Amino acid sequence: MDRNKLGKWLKSPGKMGQKYSLHALYFCTGCGIIEIPPTITARWDAERFGVIPVATPRQANLFLITGYVSVKTLRAIIRSYEQMPEPKYTVGFGSCPINGGMYWDSYNTIKHLDKYIPVDGWIAGCMPRPEAVFVAVTHLWTLIDKGMADGYKNYRKNYNSYRANQEKVLGKLEWPPLFSIKD
Amino acid sequence: MDIVFEIMIIILSALIIGLFFLGLSRKIMARIHWRYGPPIAQPFIDIIKLFSQTSTSHGTLFNLGIIFSLTGSVVVLLFLPLGKMCPLSESGGLLVIIYLMLISPLGLALSAGDAANPNASIGISRKFLLAMGYEVPLLLIFLAVMTYYNTISIAEIVNIQLLTGWSFQHLPLLLSGIAYALILPAIIGFRPFEMIQAPQEIASGPMAEYGGKFLAFTTIQHAFNVFIGISLFTNLFLGGAGNPGYFFLKMLIVFILFLFVNAVTPRFRIEQAIRYLWRWPALLAFVGLIIAVITG
Repeated sequence: MDRNKLGKWLKSPGKMGQKYSLHALYFCTGCGIIEIPPTITARWDAERFGVIPVATPRQANLFLITGYVSVKTLRAIIRSYEQMPEPKYTVGFGSCPINGGMYWDSYNTIKHLDKYIPVDGWIAGCMPRPEAVFVAVTHLWTLIDKGMADGYKNYRKNYNSYRANQEKVLGKLEWPPLFSIKD
Repeated sequence: MDIVFEIMIIILSALIIGLFFLGLSRKIMARIHWRYGPPIAQPFIDIIKLFSQTSTSHGTLFNLGIIFSLTGSVVVLLFLPLGKMCPLSESGGLLVIIYLMLISPLGLALSAGDAANPNASIGISRKFLLAMGYEVPLLLIFLAVMTYYNTISIAEIVNIQLLTGWSFQHLPLLLSGIAYALILPAIIGFRPFEMIQAPQEIASGPMAEYGGKFLAFTTIQHAFNVFIGISLFTNLFLGGAGNPGYFFLKMLIVFILFLFVNAVTPRFRIEQAIRYLWRWPALLAFVGLIIAVITG
């Protein structure tokens, strides 16, 4: 942790700020949300890492997707993701967003979350322990430091294919494209 | 030249002290919960991050309202003596402050209203109702102080207190001081009067649509607001101070006391808050005013 190194703060204040002030939006899908209250409250205390929960997507820059994603919640996830200010980071939590998990043959859940929104990192497990969230956060720090947590840039760049994937599942989306669609 | 220097010193120190108070509140709350807690500099880190983000505007009034709100807070700061420094002590005093204290909620209301978020509207209506609740006792308190000292200038009140001892030592102002202590959590938005933001029920209220630099400005405005509430209490009732260091020490002690109240109390509903504010603090302030008028 280089939070107290003044030289790094003077060199790139924006990047250091984004590292050590992750305002998290916990999207309460599925059973993963059970693990989040102990993580943010007195037992495991996420606030010492600078991670605090916020109420709306406008204030957030870390998006935790906890548990399986049904087709209905995918719509809300996409809208929330698009409202977050850049730079923004997404972490899939549990095995269900990775590959469907135990819902791999369900008719109503999506299998791979990263087809629809960009995902910067995964926490595998069913369920992952709260400690795994902190491992993910510290790993995200190194990714931000090296400039590798660039999911939001990918979303801008490949918006056409993301939008096409979203429309394949959800049908016609009722909101206009976020970026101009070039073909 | 001197006055410009003083204005800059006051705004800068209010910004740093206010943000330091917010960080200290997060740390002390964490220790009360038996957690380790964030570093004390966490609000500064948050502000730096928020300014480095992109942000979405919802219209011209959305941008202007937030500047209006921040300006209102800054202008109030200039009327409050900080140690001996008070650049605008010649003009206005308490009468101006009671007008200007409504500007910052008004600016925030204009700004958040333009975002057309239902949660923001609920938050704004609660903010104004709460302001209506604490302005009545606040006016009575100010009237008692002005009657007792026969002046409207805060700088002069501080000077008299340096000679004759704190206001708390005199009977009518003891009652007014207790009344101010009872409404101070409402002025600085602490529990049990935290129903304006209430993240768990109305998604942080007026802040619901703010992101990026807008949220940074509202955080700074909140820091100024905390500074103003406590600084007014210190100046009027705890004797002010001859030098800024002693003044900040007094403010720190008052802030930590109210932080303990914040840590252990739940949240009022808005109508409970109004009923409370118009009953006990207003009654105490009124009795204080009457005694001040009779004896003075």
